[in-house]
Amino acid sequence: MRTRRAVAGLGIALLLAAAPAMAHHAFSAEFDISKPFKVRGMLTKWEMINPHSWFHLDVKDESGEVVAWMIEGGSPNQLIKNGVTKNTLAIGTELVIEGYQAKDGTNKGVGRNLLLADGRRLFLYSRETEK
Amino acid sequence: MNHRILVLASALIGWSAIPLAGQARPKPYTAPRTPDGQPDLQGFWTNATYTPLERPKNVGKEFYTLEEAREIMKKAAVDEAEQTEPGTIPDVHYDFTQFGLDRSQGAMALNLRTSLIVDPPEGRLPPLSADGARRAAERTAARKSRGGPHDAVQNEPLGSRCILMDRNGPPMLGGAYNNTYQIMQAPGYVMILVEMLHDARIIPLDGRPQLPSNVRQWTGSSRGRWDGQTLVIETTNLTDKFAFMGASENMRLTERFTRLDEETLRYQFTVEDPSTWTRPWSAEVPWKKDKGPIFEHACHEGNYGLYNTLAGARAEEKRAAEEAAKKKPQK
Repeated sequence: MRTRRAVAGLGIALLLAAAPAMAHHAFSAEFDISKPFKVRGMLTKWEMINPHSWFHLDVKDESGEVVAWMIEGGSPNQLIKNGVTKNTLAIGTELVIEGYQAKDGTNKGVGRNLLLADGRRLFLYSRETEK
Repeated sequence: MNHRILVLASALIGWSAIPLAGQARPKPYTAPRTPDGQPDLQGFWTNATYTPLERPKNVGKEFYTLEEAREIMKKAAVDEAEQTEPGTIPDVHYDFTQFGLDRSQGAMALNLRTSLIVDPPEGRLPPLSADGARRAAERTAARKSRGGPHDAVQNEPLGSRCILMDRNGPPMLGGAYNNTYQIMQAPGYVMILVEMLHDARIIPLDGRPQLPSNVRQWTGSSRGRWDGQTLVIETTNLTDKFAFMGASENMRLTERFTRLDEETLRYQFTVEDPSTWTRPWSAEVPWKKDKGPIFEHACHEGNYGLYNTLAGARAEEKRAAEEAAKKKPQK
């Protein structure tokens, strides 16, 4: 935040659209802004595929019944380039995912934030982890 | 947040050691040679950049100072990693940083230029010709006549359908992520593997003519040759199914690849299309050495997003029809 003010002070303009809008497809066409969700569940499968990876989760609903959810994430290419494999995130890991549900009303959504059970944000790869 | 700041700080430390594209060099670099004597351009490269294609209107110079360029990159990196406002359209997205997809987490050349366009000298696209403006209007009308953007799969953008994206080109322009290219050289050929959509451009260097003019392809017909240290690729035979920045199928593209040092490749291109722009225009992008391998971007195989988008549109239509039926007066 401090950086932002300092740069504004220099009076330098940079035409950068918000990056997320430049991805593979229009997310707001696939997912519903009026259906934010937060689910807690066990990872049953992680599809490291393109154009987007998908996390499969078993989620217990209010009645205690287990419901399968599919969550969309990012392209796995940068992860794989940096040595992350589908074993990096163990099957059975408990995840808390905040996102927006699919427009067709099924148990699919985009994973805005992927959190571990203790509340830490899940970073599948970052340069910091190389150190 | 703390985590992201650490990531950014380490990325910026990395950038400070990068040689600058466009900076005066003490002595000319000679690229190593392949076994058959070509300048060796092989390896993995990235054209990731925060530099816009066109110069911002309130910037009146060709180059930033080193300090300004670093500040801009820092700001762009922070902006890219920043969370969006919950409940807004930009928030309907996954977080790039969680997948290492924000550009500052990967290799990127530091560019002092204020725009990728170097000609016209004001760094902006030349005006559209009358013909170019007419075709743009016709394209818009044709799109509208086909119905809404999600009425049929054919109405979806080429990128959503995994057919062509800006990384493929040609010309090859970077995007938000997956900006890696692998160049391989064999006697008589050069191959450029584009990470996004996993497109392999195989370009003959033996002086053969372009394909017959009735053969039209998404990425055209490309032929290469050496001009000293520089690989020159000329492309024609593009298709009217795709209009690069509004260009016609008669666009003629010249790309030039020059290795500036171990870590940097200079990518230049010139677009000539009198039926679209009132004059030719050129751009320059420094490509930075990257690491491989490139994971296959098998886009069709996992394109659940396309299905979900169309299914979402049908579900919305059904809801709307039900609402309308409820409002209808009973007979």
